[in-house]
Amino acid sequence: MRTRTLFLACAAAATLCWGTLAAAGSKTIQLPPDTVQLKPSALPGYAKAQGNCVGCHSAEYMLYQPPSAARPYWDAMVKRMKAVFNAPIEDADMPEIVDYLVKTYGNEQPK
Amino acid sequence: MSMNDSTNLARRRLVAGGAAVIAGAGLGAAGRSALAQSAIDLPIANGHRNLVAFPEKRPLIVLTSRPPQLETPFEVFNDGLITPNDAFFVRYHNAKIPTSIDGDRHVIRIGGNACGKPFELTMAQLQSQFKPVEVVAVNQCSGNSRGLFTPRVTGGQLTNGAMGNARWVGVPLKDVLARAELKNTARQVTFNGLDEGVRGGGDFVKALDVHHALDGEVMLAYQMNGTDIPMLNGYPVKLVVPGYYGTYWVKHLSEIEVIDNVFNGFWMNPAYRVPDNDCACIEPGTAPASTRPIGRFTVRSFITSVPDGARLRAGQQVVVRGIAFDGGQGIREVAYSTDGGQTWREAKLGADMGRYSFREFTFAFTPERGSHDLRVRAWNRSGQSQPMEALWQPAGYMRNVVESVKVNAA
Repeated sequence: MRTRTLFLACAAAATLCWGTLAAAGSKTIQLPPDTVQLKPSALPGYAKAQGNCVGCHSAEYMLYQPPSAARPYWDAMVKRMKAVFNAPIEDADMPEIVDYLVKTYGNEQPK
Repeated sequence: MSMNDSTNLARRRLVAGGAAVIAGAGLGAAGRSALAQSAIDLPIANGHRNLVAFPEKRPLIVLTSRPPQLETPFEVFNDGLITPNDAFFVRYHNAKIPTSIDGDRHVIRIGGNACGKPFELTMAQLQSQFKPVEVVAVNQCSGNSRGLFTPRVTGGQLTNGAMGNARWVGVPLKDVLARAELKNTARQVTFNGLDEGVRGGGDFVKALDVHHALDGEVMLAYQMNGTDIPMLNGYPVKLVVPGYYGTYWVKHLSEIEVIDNVFNGFWMNPAYRVPDNDCACIEPGTAPASTRPIGRFTVRSFITSVPDGARLRAGQQVVVRGIAFDGGQGIREVAYSTDGGQTWREAKLGADMGRYSFREFTFAFTPERGSHDLRVRAWNRSGQSQPMEALWQPAGYMRNVVESVKVNAA
């Protein structure tokens, strides 16, 4: 009965069915490595960002924010990463991480 | 799709000399693919981006590499109305993404507390037990063009390339849910895919109201442009929600739940929400009084054959072409202006590939010596159009201002 259903479906749309049947199988990909890294800094938050942020996502998330991105944005993002995404950030480390981010990627960068 | 030769030459020259500087941009398609393009400068502050070829993709603009978020270089939209699979944009939210999937063994589980008859559907069953349907539909990221917001907003800094138009083949969700014996308490349907948060939190789950899920258009697609869906676009099966922003187009679809309440996961609330007013907009720097989940596309139109900053030959006619689309009413009219919006004429529309597709438009333009500000503005069949001045909202979604392409003729 199942075979018959398949046959009828194919008769109704032969070209679609042939493409489908030919397409069955598996797919495997290999992702390329990250193309950017966190910007090195003497700020204490740099090492903590390396330990807490880029384990889960690449550094473009910071690097490509508009230069106008202000401290409340970075603060909200660090808190979101812990609260929503379970980032292993100690609350005590958050201020230093935020400080590194806003001074390296945000509107407190040295002119 | 053939392009006027002089336009083509001008376009190539201008891409090489304009804002979008790409190594090898002056070469033809074959030369471009042979040459490794490494970087592009988008026309926004802090807009330098790498170009990398991810699996099954040509070199695309890397917004983020982990998880992959890839923007389509804008010149691709002038190559044809269907966006090739290897050029189609990619947007993930979490970095634990599937890299190997046996399409024959993939299963979609259907359940939830308002589903009377939970069941599992293999890909083979999906493809053999239901009548396939086909639709040409634009998928566009909610945050497409976010980088062009003024004042700038935070988030993924995209220009206009997080959109694409493809021919999708699959099964109406309505037909699948017909086997689920929905209870009369059913309110929403949620969708989950194989991608997961690296540390478990923030799984990407989306929801549609049950009447939308049953509209016959929402589809479980297993083919994209006549072949398997690329892994990074959701192989082996993806939710297609015609006319709606890409956030609902869940990739590697593995779980469908019919529920008796409104789903409030992170990606429905507070993420992907817009001001709950007619324009989905507010004054820059203010906060919306209330929000709603993002929905249908706004109306958009783009000139694709002439980049901003182009130099044309004075006195020589060029045929300017581009694309328009909306959230599913279909494009009724595209008007164009060559004087910055002071006077408008009607562009010629190309073939109608369906109300969810890109629609081509063309107009002839013979520039006099000097600078010209080209603009296009589309209307859909219910009279909705594009604002002359950009609207603003804090999340940077739904941009659809009338774009300006400045050219100089000599």
